[in-house]
Amino acid sequence: MKKAVIVIGLGNTIMSDEGIGVRVAQQLSSFSAEFPQVSFVDAGTGGMSILHLISGIDKAIFVDCAKMGQQPGTIRKFTPQEIKTTKVLAHQSLHEADLIKIIDLAKQLDQCPAEITIFGIEPQTVEPGCELSETLAGRFDEYVTMIRQELAKTTSGGL
Amino acid sequence: MHKNMNINVHHVTRVEGHGNIVVNVNNGKIEKLQWQVPEAPRFFEAMVRGRSYQDIQTIVSRICGICSITHSLASTKAVESALGLKVSEQTDKLRILMHYSEQLQSHTLHVGYLAAPDFFGEPSVVPLVPKATDAVKTIVRAHRIANDWSDLLAGRTTHPVTLIPGGLTRIPTEQQLRQLQKTLKDAVPDLKAIAGVVLSVAGNIPKFERDTEYVSLKQTKPPTYTFYHGGITSNDNKGAALPIEKWHDVTNEYVVEQSTAKWTKWHRDSYAVGALARFNNNAELLSPMGKDAANMFGLKKGCCNPYMNTVAQLVECFHIVETSIALIDELLTKGLKQEKVISSPKAGKGSGCVEAPRGILFHEYEFDKNGLCTAADICIPTNQNHASMQKDFEKLVPEIINESEDSIRLKLEMLVRSYDPCISCSTHMLNVEFVK
Repeated sequence: MKKAVIVIGLGNTIMSDEGIGVRVAQQLSSFSAEFPQVSFVDAGTGGMSILHLISGIDKAIFVDCAKMGQQPGTIRKFTPQEIKTTKVLAHQSLHEADLIKIIDLAKQLDQCPAEITIFGIEPQTVEPGCELSETLAGRFDEYVTMIRQELAKTTSGGL
Repeated sequence: MHKNMNINVHHVTRVEGHGNIVVNVNNGKIEKLQWQVPEAPRFFEAMVRGRSYQDIQTIVSRICGICSITHSLASTKAVESALGLKVSEQTDKLRILMHYSEQLQSHTLHVGYLAAPDFFGEPSVVPLVPKATDAVKTIVRAHRIANDWSDLLAGRTTHPVTLIPGGLTRIPTEQQLRQLQKTLKDAVPDLKAIAGVVLSVAGNIPKFERDTEYVSLKQTKPPTYTFYHGGITSNDNKGAALPIEKWHDVTNEYVVEQSTAKWTKWHRDSYAVGALARFNNNAELLSPMGKDAANMFGLKKGCCNPYMNTVAQLVECFHIVETSIALIDELLTKGLKQEKVISSPKAGKGSGCVEAPRGILFHEYEFDKNGLCTAADICIPTNQNHASMQKDFEKLVPEIINESEDSIRLKLEMLVRSYDPCISCSTHMLNVEFVK
């Protein structure tokens, strides 16, 4: 049985800051007892699998590394309507993925949650490596707290 | 004939992955015609050095979000070979079942989301939805079944967590396997519907042939259309198969100026891997439904039209589902048992090989007496296809040079897509601008 809310961590943990979303979601899952209506998923770089994860869900919260033109380490909360993607896809391979396009497809198929929130975190370093940059590591607890607060707000509404 | 033409399809996205198509015609003469891959995803080989044999799978499962089960299985087999670990028959069968789930995931994605828009004349799957809503929904359903199937066997859809050297940390219940079997049986009409839709637009698959060497796994004991066991063969190898440990004799990696990814060659100056390679080397071993699907499209052993790789993937979808239904029967007949897995560090070197959805994949590791990795070597299918793609370009472009520039560009892009190269999977981050 699917839960009402899903927190999806995206990214690659062997590409330093690119894995921030996965690491935050993993940390948040240690608070799962506080949020029985919420499932926490490390979706890695599974791309189109997101379509299935969000189907039948009331609210999806994504945590992802995002190039937003901000200072490295900045976290911003936004909805898909507040942004446009600047990602250039060659459409040559299944290995390209763009969350915004996947959300578009879910909408077209009428399989999209009513509410979607994205937490984007500006990277300092995206290169091979299993560790976060000092900038993001130093603010890690802040990211977790911010999304925990969002979850507390979301679930207190009686979802 | 175009007097002058410049086609430059540049895929400039993120740090590590891009493939470019370059065609320059000057005064009616083709001056430059290249598939450029200025990328070599080799960093993970350095990343596993110094790590325990128990950590290798977890790291390499992140190499790719589409082939994470495949990388995990190849690495686990290599580690087991290095440490001299044998797995039980039950583990072997459950891993094969896990592997099939990823083949179905990837093939349905490729056929439905990447190739079908080409056949329908759409730039991507999103605008295809209003044009072929039912077809897209059927594809999504089939893909979802494959994802749930991976979830059951691998512990999650991507980046598996149930695989460890020597066995599995968790196995499904018999009831879950029975349910999976029913789901797969129920999925057959959807697969037939997908095949029907693809067949209806199959006339748009370019007719192009190039005599090609095809390399894949081949299993003789027992004879099986294999994705997992066996040795390495090609249509140039007179039916013989090399042991996996000899994979360097097959890949013969070399450096070319136009690409920082290494290219490969065996008997000729290039070879191709993937569904069409497997089909060409093993077609007679397909399941009955797989053979029916091949007949439906007129796909015959010896086909050397690279665009037909997509059809070969579709054929394999039928084979995978039918074979998995039978495999679940075998597992249930014997009954599932919880098995204890024990492994200990040991010095050694081992190779592991499985078929990724897009072709044969090799992993090799060396460990010291403490089980720490001292060397790693991985050869991905996409690198093995680069030379073949270049050779296809060189034969195709002169044949279509009188067509419009748009038509030439589209056919080259479709050719690249038919191979489904893994050129940018290790980062998926958002690139956004705020509009509100």
